[in-house]
Amino acid sequence: MQQALPYRTWVPPTSSSSSTVVVAANSDNPQPPLPPQNSPNSIKTRANLQKLVSENPVIVFGGSGCCMCHVVKRLLLGLGVNPPVVAVDDPLEVAVIRELAGIGGSDPQFPVVFVGGKQFGGLERVMATHISGELVPILKQAGALWL
Amino acid sequence: MDSPTAQFVTSRRMGIFEPIHQISMWEDFKVDGCQIASASMIVEVNTKIDNQSEDSSQGTPRSSNKFHQGTSKPPDKVLRRLAQNREAARKSRLRKKAYVQQLETSRLKLVQLEQEVERARQQGLYVGDGIDTRHLGYSGNVNSGINTFEMEYELWVKEQDRQICELRTALNCHVVDRDLRSLVDGSMKHYFDLFQMKATAAKADVFYLMHGIWKTSAERFFSWIGGFRPTELLKILVAQLDLADQQVYDVCNLRQSCQQAEDALSQGMDKLQQILAETVAAGQVTLAMEKSEALVRFVNQADHLRQVTLQQMSRILTTHQAARGLLNLGEYCQRLRTLSSLWATRPCEPA
Repeated sequence: MQQALPYRTWVPPTSSSSSTVVVAANSDNPQPPLPPQNSPNSIKTRANLQKLVSENPVIVFGGSGCCMCHVVKRLLLGLGVNPPVVAVDDPLEVAVIRELAGIGGSDPQFPVVFVGGKQFGGLERVMATHISGELVPILKQAGALWL
Repeated sequence: MDSPTAQFVTSRRMGIFEPIHQISMWEDFKVDGCQIASASMIVEVNTKIDNQSEDSSQGTPRSSNKFHQGTSKPPDKVLRRLAQNREAARKSRLRKKAYVQQLETSRLKLVQLEQEVERARQQGLYVGDGIDTRHLGYSGNVNSGINTFEMEYELWVKEQDRQICELRTALNCHVVDRDLRSLVDGSMKHYFDLFQMKATAAKADVFYLMHGIWKTSAERFFSWIGGFRPTELLKILVAQLDLADQQVYDVCNLRQSCQQAEDALSQGMDKLQQILAETVAAGQVTLAMEKSEALVRFVNQADHLRQVTLQQMSRILTTHQAARGLLNLGEYCQRLRTLSSLWATRPCEPA
């Protein structure tokens, strides 16, 4: 069944899968976020992150080259969800986590999944709720799944 | 040392029918610390002695004759006999406790001695073959985290054997659900304890954990990220269980979720393998070492998946079914271990 494509404002790099976005470091950014450009060097601020989180029913944030991220993504794909995966480069990791903590809630650690605009948890929570059968209804409620 | 073992194995198969043999055997093992019997024997003795001592209705061998004499059983004699029984049982338990403690200390000393011997052997100072130094691990390295794990695992297996026995007895005797429930919970907690142990050991040597080195060879054949596949666990748990319709549906869903989670982890592992291969091929061994840290998380996640699968299973099944299922699982593991040792000792064709 065709799933609606998640809304993306950045052109993804060609090498990775279609829904991966790369966040690169940019030294100083005092101004409000610039309009999105065709470049992976876009700056993430809390407003941008907030936008990502609220506009996507499901979104995954993780470190770059993180295999756990891959696991979360494969699991969600297997359920019929195609979430955007934001791969955060090492230098930005701490900053992004701090911002995400401000948005979502409590002490996020990569990989972290946001569902319905709120922090859902890491791989452990995803697996535990999937096994207990709670995950699919939650995803449906957030509009990530239709059936 | 062989005859008590043989005698005991026979007694065990016959069940709790040989009180005389077992009491005399117990008295042979006085608390003087000089006899290092194999721990398995002692645990089995303990089980039987517990069954013997606490079941006072069986009577002591000495007074059994008196019990059958005549039709009248003066109550004060009965009471006195029961009191003597209780006292004997209490003393027996205290002796057992002291003996087991001495045994554990001796065991630790033994492992240390083995390590010393192996070290000396590697330095070419000592050539002997009577001592089994397998405990030092496949690489011969003295890794204290792994040594601790191996010691703890051996105790864990003995406890598992004891619990399996208890489950079997309880199911055969049709005990009340409440007692069965506590056995089930205890059994599950025992598995969760193992996951904790593995998490600690993974930090010491994750490759050791990944390959299930501590297990027997047949168990290792089924190894997936350091243990059984969760779907495999499910299959074994529900084998030959009589399930209600709703339960069949729930188990089916659980199996599917389990499979999906397993596949996701497998794919993550494949990706990690690929990354590691590329890093090593590029000559970046130090970087590869850092990336190998991710393996620790995989072992933890795999064990976590096993844990939540077991927990969900115990929600779906009734207490009785759960007890049956856990017995299935325990016996399956025991049979794999038997298979391993049979295979290791099978007669080989002459070259």
